[in-house]
Amino acid sequence: MGLKSIWTKVYQTLASVRTGIFLIIVVGIFSAVGTVILQRPTSEPEDMQRAYSPQTLALLDRVGLTDIFHAWWFLLLLTLVCICLIVVSVDRWPNAWKVYSKPIRFAQPGFRASLPQTAKFTVANEAAALSVAERVLGRFGFKPEAVTENGASGLYAEKQRYSVFALYLVHMSLICIFAGYIVDGIVGYRGNIQVPEGQALGQISLRDDRGGESKKTLPFLIRCDGAGEETYADGSPKKWWSKLALIEDGKQVAAKTIVVNDPFVYKGIRIYQSSMGQSSTPRTLTFTATPTKGGEAAAVEVPLNGKAMLADGESLSILRWVPDYYVQDNEVYKKSDDADNPAVQLGLTNAQGETKKLWILYSEMNSTKGQDAPYEFAIKSATWEKFTGLEVSHQPGQFGVWIGVVLMAFGLLIAFYTQHVRIWAAIADDGKGGKLLWVGGTTNKNRDRFQAKFEQFKTALQEELGGQAATKIDPKTINPKNEEKTLTKA
Amino acid sequence: MSEARVEQQRPASGAALLVLVGLGIAFALLVALLALAKTHSGPIYGEANMLYTALVLYAGAATLYMGYGVTGIERYVSAASLLTAIGFAANTAAVAHRWSVAGRPPFSNMYEMLLSFVWTLALLTLIAERAYKVKIIGSITMPITVVSVILMQLLPSDVRPLVPALQSTWLQVHVTLAMLSYAACAVSFALAMMFLIQDGMKTESFQALTSAGMVAIYASMLITRFRSGTLAVTAYDLESKSEVMVSRGHPLFIQIPDLGWLYLLVLLSALVPLLLYIAGKVKKDPSLFDSASKGMFVSLMLQAAGLAIFIARVKGGQYSAPGVDGVYATALPANPFLLSGIVGGIVAGLLYLLLLWRREGLQRMMPAADDLDRVTYKIICIAFPLLTLMIAAGAYWANQAWGSYWSWDPKETWAAITWLVYAGYLHMRITRGWRGRRAAWFAILGFAVVIFTFFGVTYLLPGLHAYAAG
Repeated sequence: MGLKSIWTKVYQTLASVRTGIFLIIVVGIFSAVGTVILQRPTSEPEDMQRAYSPQTLALLDRVGLTDIFHAWWFLLLLTLVCICLIVVSVDRWPNAWKVYSKPIRFAQPGFRASLPQTAKFTVANEAAALSVAERVLGRFGFKPEAVTENGASGLYAEKQRYSVFALYLVHMSLICIFAGYIVDGIVGYRGNIQVPEGQALGQISLRDDRGGESKKTLPFLIRCDGAGEETYADGSPKKWWSKLALIEDGKQVAAKTIVVNDPFVYKGIRIYQSSMGQSSTPRTLTFTATPTKGGEAAAVEVPLNGKAMLADGESLSILRWVPDYYVQDNEVYKKSDDADNPAVQLGLTNAQGETKKLWILYSEMNSTKGQDAPYEFAIKSATWEKFTGLEVSHQPGQFGVWIGVVLMAFGLLIAFYTQHVRIWAAIADDGKGGKLLWVGGTTNKNRDRFQAKFEQFKTALQEELGGQAATKIDPKTINPKNEEKTLTKA
Repeated sequence: MSEARVEQQRPASGAALLVLVGLGIAFALLVALLALAKTHSGPIYGEANMLYTALVLYAGAATLYMGYGVTGIERYVSAASLLTAIGFAANTAAVAHRWSVAGRPPFSNMYEMLLSFVWTLALLTLIAERAYKVKIIGSITMPITVVSVILMQLLPSDVRPLVPALQSTWLQVHVTLAMLSYAACAVSFALAMMFLIQDGMKTESFQALTSAGMVAIYASMLITRFRSGTLAVTAYDLESKSEVMVSRGHPLFIQIPDLGWLYLLVLLSALVPLLLYIAGKVKKDPSLFDSASKGMFVSLMLQAAGLAIFIARVKGGQYSAPGVDGVYATALPANPFLLSGIVGGIVAGLLYLLLLWRREGLQRMMPAADDLDRVTYKIICIAFPLLTLMIAAGAYWANQAWGSYWSWDPKETWAAITWLVYAGYLHMRITRGWRGRRAAWFAILGFAVVIFTFFGVTYLLPGLHAYAAG
């Protein structure tokens, strides 16, 4: 088998409806499998371990069934669907273009026989008969044109010729959508970032770490100038908002207050409000300070990065903050970010500038009692740093997707709700020296409705022609197998 | 063979009809009492009163449509149609009232979705009857509306505030389109089934199909909820009218003792007729088909008993969960998957019995096979663009709310699979000229996938779309 015949074979395979259906089934089956087996990007690792035994999980990972939708072979499958759609369109295009650009205007006798709907009327005056046909066609909403070929004259009328392109529009829209998705799969990214109030950050944690990278630095910094939550009377969240400013090269370049469902778009990067929270770092801590020698206890509020003055000219500052601590080898370590068991190291500086270091280990004793100092301190309350949880995505391919969606909407509208209707009229010999008015028509879909319409047209024509009708040939019974057979084989 | 048996059946006598209508009226009265037991405050044109009016009218219409299904008396249809139309007006008022009170279209929770679903179904019934002259459709759709409205009485109906992610016009567009396209798919399914009846598919084949459906329902229920003899149901806090959650997205499952065994028995009872059918096919012994029909009857009785016991146990007790202290109550609305599965199985079984006993009469009332085939295709031509736009609107909303237009979450993926199935149907029909039986089976497959997308994905597969269950 030569190279050329292999090529022809491949081309024919890709252009066949059978291949298309096969690909649809394969994509459908793998998509279904991807919803039954837990997928890495959308499931917690613990859930996956709970659901499958270690051996099964290892096997699934190796076969690639735990991340089907990002697997190379799934993207390849979608690419193959794209190629198939392109080949099908290229293959069927010449036919559709011929129908569109060079419509058969004059019905030759051979062509007449192939039409599903025809009728004949005996006429006396050719020109008068044609003008009657023209008038009746006009009444049915057609704009007929007069055609002649080899001295024979006739009429040609059509409606919604663009309907032949519906298939291409729908297939093209799918190509747009897939292409957009594939572009996003290659160059797009998606991640999240938590920005505390008053700070500016620019590094996001990627959602699916392609190529092992789990962080990405944005071309700008996001500063949070305020964030808040509004709640309904029953306490459920009503609105989350964040006042954001973007800083590029040290300058503020854009600002917007975002809410859920209303993202911030800058240079193709979209920033979404996704959550709202408190960080485990307090903005200020308030202590009760009780003089050791006796006296009134007083409250003192200390900013995390500042100090507060006490009554006797001493100052208090926070040297270390551990939200959840544990002690090992006489050292304090951080256990987690949950601020429910804090440890605080305080610095008490006297007027001479000498600093005393004191510890509060909350779960042991909320006090500095027993540590040699003029005061005993205890944690009273805290104000917390608020942060806004943002989702950041860059998906330039989405414009292809939206263009595809719009094209598809039009394509389906045309495909299902328009039809290319064509009607011809011609003067023919009746074989006995007389003349006949021949009319015939066809459509590319909804044949049953067209058949009824054509019957009405025939009746109207007969009435207009008056008593001239002598022979009337019934329309051929339509072969139901051909009904709704559209553009592809038209 | 089955034809011969069908002919032996006597036509429904006047007494049978009387019983049927009597039952319908009793049913309507019961429903009325149910609704009266709830104290309705607020204006007379308010939502609760309007919905109650709609319920009574729909119940009457459903009874009349079913009466038509059994007797074939045309008079019933015009009366049923009138009742449906008035009920629809009341239903519209209920929807409008809720919309104006909430200040947004009613699609945000199960109650509001059912409200809109019932409205759409009644509208489609009227359209199918007036425009397409498919009169029998009401005897399938109207009972569904009645069951839905009764279910709604059990659900929390207060206007709840929307969490931020759901405050989106695109979401509402998405849900509206979903409702419309799924309703169209349901209608195409009903038409395809009617086509198979008119096309002369054997009654025992319908029996096998119904049994297979029942087996699928009980198997999926037992696979997900059977816990060593008990049946796991979702715990429900009756005070706050909400599910008890272990953590976000994970409801607490409590176990009703022994109910698991009962449903295992029901599963076996549904399996027996299917096996008898297969045996009859293999041995070419038609007498086995008769046994299978009897088996269906027994299974249906067991299923009805199962439903009654389920309701009784759910309403009257508190149950524990392993590893969790204390006992918890549960409620029917917390278990829509189980409830609709059981009710769906029973409805399918009753429809089969109707076919078994009244096939000839039914066939006389239905449009011709060719018409059904064509209308099925036309309805899918409506459903498919709606399905496409529904997916697109959903993607646009996801892009606004979550940062990506497509993230392959199970609901999205199954919506895409549904789309692929109907795309396959259209290709086979248009380019390969598939029509008749093959096309009808394809339309049935499409609706099965729709059902899976609607229920299966939410209750069988985990997903981001847990909002909808609330």
